[in-house]
Amino acid sequence: MLLADFGTSYCKFLDAAGPAGTPYLLATKDLPRDLRVDLATGHNARRFSDHYVNELTALARGGEELIAAPDYVLLDCGSRDIKFVSYRQGKLADMGWNSECGASMGFTIELLESYYHLDYNSLAVPANTFSITCGVLGMSHIFDAVTSGISEAEAVARFVKGIALNAYRFCGSPETLHLSGGLCANPLFVGSFPCRVIPLGRFVLIKGLEKTIRDSL
Amino acid sequence: MEAKQENLFDTLRPGAKVGIVGIPPRDVIGRLNARDAHILDLDEPQLKADMELTAPWLPRVYCAILRTAVLNALHLRLDMIFIDVGPGKCDCAFHVSTVLQDILPIPVIRTRNEDDAAFGHPLCATKMALLEKFKRITAGVQSAAPYDGAQFPPCRPTAGFWGVPPRDFSLLALFPDTTHVYGWTRCMENKTPADWELEAQFNAEVPTVFFAQSFCAKTALAKFLAAKHPHGLFLDADVTCSSSTRAKIQAFLELSGVPHAAR
Repeated sequence: MLLADFGTSYCKFLDAAGPAGTPYLLATKDLPRDLRVDLATGHNARRFSDHYVNELTALARGGEELIAAPDYVLLDCGSRDIKFVSYRQGKLADMGWNSECGASMGFTIELLESYYHLDYNSLAVPANTFSITCGVLGMSHIFDAVTSGISEAEAVARFVKGIALNAYRFCGSPETLHLSGGLCANPLFVGSFPCRVIPLGRFVLIKGLEKTIRDSL
Repeated sequence: MEAKQENLFDTLRPGAKVGIVGIPPRDVIGRLNARDAHILDLDEPQLKADMELTAPWLPRVYCAILRTAVLNALHLRLDMIFIDVGPGKCDCAFHVSTVLQDILPIPVIRTRNEDDAAFGHPLCATKMALLEKFKRITAGVQSAAPYDGAQFPPCRPTAGFWGVPPRDFSLLALFPDTTHVYGWTRCMENKTPADWELEAQFNAEVPTVFFAQSFCAKTALAKFLAAKHPHGLFLDADVTCSSSTRAKIQAFLELSGVPHAAR
C-alpha cells in the first residue's frame, strides 16, 4: 500500500506494506505522470489518488502519532504554505492554514540559497530581521539591503529570520514549537525561532496517513 | 428614514425594482411588499460581473459583501435603494451609502433598523442542508410576513455555524444538515439585526465555526467568541472560498468527529 504526501517541491512516499517502512523523497518535477498511490495528501494529491486526506487532517493525525504531550503546537512549513494545529488536553484547540499571505516561503528560502550560492549550515542567526509576511514580497527587502551595502549572506539570513518570526506569530507564539517539513533540516531557519523548537522532520503528514489507514481498519 | 423621504414610497410603481443593503426595518419592507415592489438583495451576487469594476469607488481591501452591493447597484437598473446603516449593519455601509448617493441617479435611502419584535429563528435550528437554510433565511429579508415555525421543527445539533451569510455560499456545503446557525444570521431570521445579545449567543456543546467576512468589523467578535468557545474555529474569507478555507472547515469537522459532506 503506497502512501504519499504530494508537496509543491518534494513528494514524500511510504510503502506501508514494504520492509521496515522507510519513507523516501522524490522531487515533484520528477514524478512519473502515470503514478497512482493508495492514499494521498498534499495540494497535488487528487491527481494521483482516488483517496485523499486533507493536509491539516494529515498533519494533526501525524502530530497525534509523534507527540506524546497533551498540549502542543505543531507547525508545518512547506514550500508554498504554512499550516498549524494546536492541541490542548489531547484535543484539537486551534488550526490555521496560510496559503496566501504566507505564500512561497519555503520555496523562496531554497531558491535564495541556490541563487546566492549560500550554505544555510554555515550562516549564523542574525541579530536583525526583516518584517516579512510573504516570501515573494519579502524579496524586495533583500534587494534593498544589498543595495545599501549589507552582504548578500546577511540579507538572506535576515529574510529567513523574518519568515521564521512570521510563522511563529501565525501559530500563536508558543513557548515550544514542534516543527514539520523540509525546513527542519535548515539550522538557520530553526535557530531563528524565538522559542524552543522540536524538529520532527518532513514525514509528519505521512505518519498521519499511516494513522488514517490504521484507524480505518 | 428621514421624514422628507416618506413620500418616496408613493412614487413607486407596482413591480418597481428596489435594492436593499443589509436589513431595512420591517416597516419599510412591509410598505414595499404592499406596493408589489420587486426587492433585490444587493448583498448577494445578482449578476456575473468582475468585482474589479467597483475599484474606482471602493478600496480592493474592503468588505466583499459591500463591494458586491456596489457592483449590483452599478449594473442593475434599480428604481430605488434602501441601505441600512444602523447598529444592525455597520459603519462601512454608511460610507458606501454616501458613495452610492453620489454616483447613482436614483434615491438611495439610509435606514436604521432597530426593530426589536422577535419573529423567531426556526430555520436556524432545523435539520436542512446548511446552504438551503441560508438561502431561505436571506430570502426571508424580502418579506415582512410572520413565519410558520411548526413547519421547521428543531433538530439535535452536531455542529454550529456562527456569523453572517458568507459572500460565497459554497463554503456552507461542507457542513452537516444538523448544523445550527448563530450570530447575525440568527438575528436576520429573527428580524432583529441589531440584537447584539442574540448575536453573541453560541452553543458551547457543539464544535462551532465562527465566521466573518474578511475586513468586516465582525471579525473581532468572531475571533473573540471563538476563543471563548471550548471548541471553536475562527474563520474569515474574502470574495470566494479558497481551497485552504475549505480545507480548514473540513479538517475542523473531521478532527472534531463531526460527519461532514465534503470528501
